[in-house]
Amino acid sequence: MSAALEQDGLYEEAGQAFGQALERLAHAYEADADLRRDLLQEIHVALWRSFASFDGRCSLRTWVYRVAHNVGASHVLRQRRTRGHELVGLEELEDLPDAADSQHEVDRSHALGRLLALIQRLKPLDRHVILSYLEGLDAAAIGEITGLTAGNVATKIHRIKNMLARQFHEGGTES
Amino acid sequence: MTELQNPAQRLWQDQPVEGVKMSLEEVRRRAGKFERRIWRRNAREYVASLIAAGLFVYFMMSAHDWLSRVTFALFMVAMLWIVAALHRNGSAKKLPEGVDTLTGLRLYRAELERQYGVVKSMWWWYLAPMVPGFIVYTIGHAVKVPHPAAWAGLAVMDIVVAGLFYVVWRMNMRAARCLQRMIDELNVPE
Repeated sequence: MSAALEQDGLYEEAGQAFGQALERLAHAYEADADLRRDLLQEIHVALWRSFASFDGRCSLRTWVYRVAHNVGASHVLRQRRTRGHELVGLEELEDLPDAADSQHEVDRSHALGRLLALIQRLKPLDRHVILSYLEGLDAAAIGEITGLTAGNVATKIHRIKNMLARQFHEGGTES
Repeated sequence: MTELQNPAQRLWQDQPVEGVKMSLEEVRRRAGKFERRIWRRNAREYVASLIAAGLFVYFMMSAHDWLSRVTFALFMVAMLWIVAALHRNGSAKKLPEGVDTLTGLRLYRAELERQYGVVKSMWWWYLAPMVPGFIVYTIGHAVKVPHPAAWAGLAVMDIVVAGLFYVVWRMNMRAARCLQRMIDELNVPE
């Protein structure tokens, strides 16, 4: 198979398998709908270009998430220059007050909106970890995508679970 | 994928998506558009530099006295120096795709630090090269037209130029502070 055909094939395979995850990821990096559409297109283009140098040393999933997260992080940092809201780490989010009991009553879209608002405040590295966790990736896969050690990933996931439990009144803080 | 343990994971994965799909043609078109935009931007910079250099050469050749020739020669050298420095430092380095997040962020921080250095030292590579041309121009014209009114005009011109230099310098220092904040905020583990 020629390199160009292989590149196209990999892109189509990735789009099929991870298209929806990429949309969710774009949602976590950009709140504005128009800018989000542009970001998603930017991710797709970066992905297609990246497959020209994909050597199969990591899985397709790891590659897709790495490329998409890197585009997302660049986008956030670029926007940071113009928008100016401060990004925080997981440690700071842990210190947020517990959500009020009335939050039990909120509908799903409100809960999703709150979850997105929390994610969109995070610094790039912590944002990658929480998004990978929410996508259901295990600690080993998160480590492969982010380059963090297993210990670091475990600590961050523990914090994420605590934070989610406190903010959304969900049980279980075991890592 | 692990089995979903946390309701937040379910909430996240069940969120409605538009199901956006990009065809290969669309992706290729957009990638091509991006590359053309970069090419056009570079071409514009080089064409503008060539036109400016051509004008300085013309002014230098058609000047009637050696002081004017020296002035235009100094401005031309300054401009070539600035263009070379812009070419060397100005454009952002492309980060490799497919690297893990930590490596990507470290490379990004290194790029920000490089940009910070470029902005912080802009006096030396952007403003200072123009100074000799202005000094020779001022002295040359002050000697050529020894009249208080002409000197006053030269003084006004120099004050305006100095003011512009100051504004450009302040803007760049503000950009440098912004870059420093971004570097601090990234807080990438070593």
